[in-house]
Order: sequence, then C-alpha cells, then structure tokens
Amino acid sequence: MDILNIDYEKYKLTNGLEVILYKDKSLPLAAANIWYKVGSANEIKGKTGIAHLFEHMMFQGSENIPKEMHFKYIQEAGGSLNGSTSFDRTNYFEKVPSNFLELVLWLESDRMGSFIPALTQEKLDNQKSVVSNERLERYDNQPYGLAWELIISNLFPEGHPYSWSTIGSLEDISSYTLDDVKSFFKTYYSPSNAALVIAGDFDTGKTKELVEKYFVDIKANGNAKQLKTGASKLKENIFLAHEDNVQLERIYLSWHSDIAYGDDDSSLDILSDILTGSKSSRLYKNLVYEKEIAQDVTAFQFSGRHGGFFTITATAKPGIKLELLKAEILKELDELKNNGITEKELLKSKNGIKSNFIYSLQNIDSLADQINSYNFFLKEPNSFNFDLKRYEEVDNEKIKAALRYFSNPFVELHIVPKNGNEK
Amino acid sequence: MNLIDRTQKPQPKGEISFSLPEIQKFRLENGLNVYFIKKNKFPILQVNLLINGGSVFDPKDRYGLSNLFSMVIDEGAGDFDSLQLSDEFDSLGTHFSVSSSEDNLYFSLQTLEENFEKSLDLFSTVITKPHLEEKDFHRERRKIITRILQMQDEPDEIADMVYQFRIYGKTNPYAFPVIGYENTVKDISKDDIKGYRDNYLHPDNSTLIIVGDITREKLEDKLNSYLRDWKPGKASSNADSPYTAQRKKIYLADKKDSVQSEIRIGHLSTKRNDADYFSKLLLNTILGGQFTSRINLNLRERKGYTYGAHSRFNYFKNSADFCVSTSVGIENTANAVHEIFNELNGIQEGIKPEELEFAKSSIIRKFPSNFETNKQIASNIIGMVIHSLPDNYFNNYIEEIKSIEMDNVNSAAEKYIKPNESIIILVGDKAKLIEQFKNFDIETIETDIKGELKS
Repeated sequence: MDILNIDYEKYKLTNGLEVILYKDKSLPLAAANIWYKVGSANEIKGKTGIAHLFEHMMFQGSENIPKEMHFKYIQEAGGSLNGSTSFDRTNYFEKVPSNFLELVLWLESDRMGSFIPALTQEKLDNQKSVVSNERLERYDNQPYGLAWELIISNLFPEGHPYSWSTIGSLEDISSYTLDDVKSFFKTYYSPSNAALVIAGDFDTGKTKELVEKYFVDIKANGNAKQLKTGASKLKENIFLAHEDNVQLERIYLSWHSDIAYGDDDSSLDILSDILTGSKSSRLYKNLVYEKEIAQDVTAFQFSGRHGGFFTITATAKPGIKLELLKAEILKELDELKNNGITEKELLKSKNGIKSNFIYSLQNIDSLADQINSYNFFLKEPNSFNFDLKRYEEVDNEKIKAALRYFSNPFVELHIVPKNGNEK
Repeated sequence: MNLIDRTQKPQPKGEISFSLPEIQKFRLENGLNVYFIKKNKFPILQVNLLINGGSVFDPKDRYGLSNLFSMVIDEGAGDFDSLQLSDEFDSLGTHFSVSSSEDNLYFSLQTLEENFEKSLDLFSTVITKPHLEEKDFHRERRKIITRILQMQDEPDEIADMVYQFRIYGKTNPYAFPVIGYENTVKDISKDDIKGYRDNYLHPDNSTLIIVGDITREKLEDKLNSYLRDWKPGKASSNADSPYTAQRKKIYLADKKDSVQSEIRIGHLSTKRNDADYFSKLLLNTILGGQFTSRINLNLRERKGYTYGAHSRFNYFKNSADFCVSTSVGIENTANAVHEIFNELNGIQEGIKPEELEFAKSSIIRKFPSNFETNKQIASNIIGMVIHSLPDNYFNNYIEEIKSIEMDNVNSAAEKYIKPNESIIILVGDKAKLIEQFKNFDIETIETDIKGELKS
C-alpha cells in the first residue's frame, strides 16, 4: 500500500551513530527517537535491572543539563518525552513543536556524550528508590503481578538473557554503585551502539547540519559484545503454583516459540487473534461466552532477538477449577492441529491487522519508534509493507507449521488465592 | 573536530504556524446534533456518539445500570446475534465499542474510509435495533459481578472508589462507581435495561462527533439515510451538585499485607465552565499536573517516595473535585502525606513568576499536538459538548492562557486549594498505617472498600 511506503534517508556519522530522517509536514511537530542496542538481555544473573535503572539515570542530567532540567526544557517547549527498557533495547524519545528540534538534539547528545561528569551518589540513591517503588507498584503490589517473572525464569534456562525481568530484583536494584552505572554507560552507551530517528516537519539540509554539530564529536567506545543464544527447549512440562492476594484463580500456559520476524512469528500473532482476539475467537467464545467458566482469556506471542514464547492466560470464574480451563484450552489447540482454521477466521484477522497498521500511522512519535524498531530488527526502516505482507502471506499451511510449538513441553503456572482468601 | 559550545541552550528557530481544524456543525432531520471535522491525511474516520445518560442517572437501588446497558446493547442487533455482530465489525477491521462514564454513554467507531458506509450501517443497527436478549443480559450481568469481585484485589481501584464515595457523600450521584455494586447490579432487571433505552437513547439526547476523510455532503447524506429510523424522544438533565465543605480526616481501607499504600487527598471544586478555569489549569500545572510540577519533583525526584505523584481537577458535567494521588512504599505513607500537605500549603504562599511563565509556555506550545490524531480531535470536541463550552473555545484558547497573570493564579490557589477541607484516603496494611499516623492529630476512620464507615 502506498501510504505504508515511507520515504526516508539513512546515513552514518563517523563515530558510528546511525541517523534516519523521515519527513512529514502535515503538522508543525518533530519527533526524535533513539534506540540504544542494550536491554535487560545484556545483564547477568545477580545483576538484574541495571539497564532499566540506567534509563532512569539518563533523565538525571548530564554535564550541561542540571537535574530535572531535561524534563523542564522539553515541557517548557510544549513537548512530551519518555524512555523505556525492554529485553533487547532501550529507547528515549521526545516530541516537540518543530521549531524546537535543536533543543532535543542538544539534550540527547549531551547525555550520550557527557553523562558521567554529572553523575552523583545522591542522584543514584534517589533513582534506586524511585525504581524500587516502580517495582512495588507494578509487580509486588499488583494482583498477579509476579506471574511474568515466574514464567520466564522457569521457561528459559538459568542464565538465558530473557530469564529475568527488565525491572530486576529489589536486592539487585539496591546493590548498584556509581561504578556499576559508569561501567554500564561506557560499555553500551556509545554512538556506534545507537540509532537516531528524526521524524516530522524539518528542513533536511539544516537538520543534517545540526545532527553533525551535536553528535559527531561524541567518541565511540568500541563495540559492545554481541549476545549469542541458541534456541531454548524444555525437557518436560514444568508446573508452578503461587499464592497471591487475589479473589480468582488464574492459569498461564507458556510455550517456547519463534523469535521476532522468524518464519512463524506472524502466524503465531494471527493464531493469538484467532484464539482470543475477539468475541467469536475460539477460546473467548468457548470459555467466556458459552461455558462461562472463565472471566477472561488472552493469548499472546512475545518475540525478541533471543527468543520468543506464546502464552495463554485465563482467569477462572468463582468456583471453577483451573484443570478444567487447561483441558478446554488444550482441546482447542488440538482441534486447530487437526482441522486448521477457516478462511473466514483468517480473513477477519488479516483485515484487522491491515486496519491497525493504518490507524497506527497517525502519531508521529509512535511512527518514529516503529521506524527504529524496523531498523533494529530488519536493518530496513521502510518495512511497513514488508511487515504487513508477512501477515498477508499466512495461510493454513503456515498456521499448521506454527502449531508444532504446542506439541513441545510447556510451563504451567497457577496463581491461587492465599489460604483463607478462598471464595 | 567541531568543538561546539554545549553550555548554551539552543533557542527555537522562528515561530511555527498552526491552523485549527474547522469545526462544522449541523443537525440531522431526527434532531441529532453533529460536529464534523474534516481531516484528509489518512483514509480513516473516527465516529463518537455521546449520550446524555451516564451512571449519575442510575436509580438509587440500581447502581451500575448504564454500565450494564453499555455491555448489553451490542450483544446482537438487527439480523445479527451477538457473535455475528462482533464478526461483522471485525471483518471490516473496524473498532467498535460502547462504554459508560459518570455523565455519558459513549459509542466509539474507528474505521477505514472504504468501510465507512458498512460500519455506519452496523452502528445504526446497534442503536435502533438492539436485541437486548435475556441470555445476553444475564451473561453480561454475571461478568460484571465477577469483575466487581476482582476489583477487591486492586488497591488503586479501591482508593478511587473510597475517595469518590467520601468526597461526594451518599446523597450525590457522583459518589458511586460507574460499574455499580454487587447487590445493586444483581437487582437490575432486563426491564430496567429496556427502560434505560427508552429514557436516554434518543437523537435529541445525543451528540455525534465525526473526524476524518469524507466530504460534508456525503457525510450528511449517509447519516440522514442510516440514522433515519432513530426517532426523537426527550432530552435528559440532572441538577448541579452543591459544594459541601468537609473536615480534614483520614479514611483508611485495610489491605492486608500490602507493600505499598495508595493515597488520595482532595476536596470538591467548581465546575469546568466556571470563569476561573484557566487560572486553575495553570495553577495545577505548577502544583501537580505534570512531571516537573512541585508535587512530583518533591515526592519522586527529591524524596524518592514514589514512582509518581500527581494532582488534578476532575471535571464532571455537574460537579468537580481536586485530587492528589500517588502510591508509595508503605513505610513512607505518613512522610508522603506530610509532604503533600506541605505543597498544598506552600502554593498558598504564592507562585514564582518563572513558574507561571513555564506553565504558560508548556500549555501554549503543546496546543498543536493536541490535534494530531482523529481520536484526539474527537475527544477535544467531546469535552466541549459535555461542559457546554462555546464554539470558539479552541480559537480563543491560547489568548485565554496568555491573559492569566500572577494575581489570578495566586488567588486561585487560595480559593481552590483547601488543605484544611481535604480528606485523606489511605488504602494499605492497617496495622502499619495506624502506627505511622498516631502522632498526626487527625481523626482516622476505618472504612470498607466501598467507603462505608466500619462500625
């Protein structure tokens, strides 16, 4: 489709920083988006959460930007900003009125080049405390909040880069010193380990000059070592039960699956939609709509550079046993293996995906992030049509191929009410 | 090597020009008011139907009625049963949903332009020919009752529920959760659902907002033809809620073993279309409206008590309140409450000129990015409609902000931030909390998760 074919320019500075420019003049806005090729996958067991803690530290100021001022300058310009950390990468992004683009480049380059001189113990202690509270809020004090960590730490073998969560453990978070943070910066925050996307309303010539001006004198730190991981396999099913402050029992079934953009990745996305993506999807219809044995059911394909897994989650209605939900879920997967999917299901799924591609183009900042994502995984920023095509090409044969993952052993997690909480 | 001076903050390059999308208004033959904004960039249309009939209209013993109605109305319509109807929308790649808030029932539709007519056909079928069948009604009601049970697990939901109940007080319709309570939802009958439709689902009690890639002529034509069968009824209205001052008190809902506490601190306020709105907006931007506001910088960036702390004026159609909210490690609850009151008291001593300049700059320069997506534009119009703002509201927006001076904000702080009339809601482990607050000299009252006092 034409609107999915974006015109961009990509080049590299002498220090290795990749730059991608995408022009869109429909609103007087500009977005900057940097991906550093480092995430929690680059951590080691016993030293978890530092990639995410480091992301917080990047907002604590740099040589020429006092604490709190990174946020203040952007908000004063009417802009928005944030950052996020995942297994594979850390991103930082701003969206500002287009006449403030230079401000963003100044801020991003200052922390890329001169982060260390502004680092203090006080800032680190403060952000260790903020991140510990983030962990409490999103994991420990959330109903079912520890499920994710229980799954990945059992599904992936010990030491696998995806076997711990990006937030990290409270113990590890509290252990970090200034030296840990400095050494993390020196290892991974090099221009040669990053890509900068600028999207929106700008003048190409002037913007190239500005990028050169602010970024070119930042020294590269050599190359961060590349992670190597093989495919992970479970030898046998793993069963886990965990008690939590919850009213309803919940079951999670999780299988190893394909990596991002692997041959089966898009088929697994479509399968998740066919299983739980709509009212008439197979598991929703069976468990929630017809039998009313589950309050909700979701299926989700996660895929990254170093692994992927497919998880089906269902919350039991009061008084319903998780064994029953499990049996129904496995029965539905068998049915798919035996008889495949219908043309109607496939078409519905594909139409939904196509529309979502177009809806998602409306935000210049999410577009910039998607461009960086394509560049990271596929080395080609203009991959919207390629991406859509890998969904359009899914057929019954590909679905059957993807279903083979469900013949492998899986992790089964039950989250159940604490004793005395039983309803 | 090009050595540059990094110590100087770059200045903006020139001024940007931004023109507001034009709002067109017209009325259909059946009395439905339509707001239309043409936006051509993508072949996408956003459609929102706003019905004046949210949870504030729920009868006393039927809290949760409008929400249950929003769940049942799209369970089958015209020639389609519930699953077929959902399939029809999904096959078009159209997102369709119905939801309820305190003031309104919302229908929302996002569709590709090429599927607009088919989507509109389905949309009008839901509105004019819903099945409202017995079995769908019972299933959705059971789903809601289970959801209410699940909310007991979620400390933020409990805090919001207790806050809303305590701040508005039993006799006010804004005191009750949109989803209702288990006992009131159980008492809702299918006749109540039909009654709701008869009372509220009328074109002259509704507003339609459409943003996207279509011509006015074609739009008007299609709307008149597909919504022809939707017959007028009557408009509904309800009264303003009076302001009632409260005494500073702590309401505590126990959540055993919690490692955090949820905190809400607040009091009632004046309505959205009050003359001081822009002063209140700037005031709150300085106090707690964004990351760099006083409250968050203090509680997060200096004290490290929390992942985030914010304040806001919540505006309903007929009432409003001011609320500070955060969640903190349970051991820091009293410290955090203390710091929040320091900020509420501190703002009464006056703001600094640079704070006002910062807040103005932030809001004025952010303005164009509020009109980026069709959904954002529609939601701006929804705000205009709910609060009966003038048609030129967005045209005058920047001038209104520019006109606010130090005195306006300082007197707004005195008038609209009331530390001594603020109530404090805490949700967390009772034993740990009582211990921390025993020297606070504020009455502490225990409530259940609905906010009812425990005897």
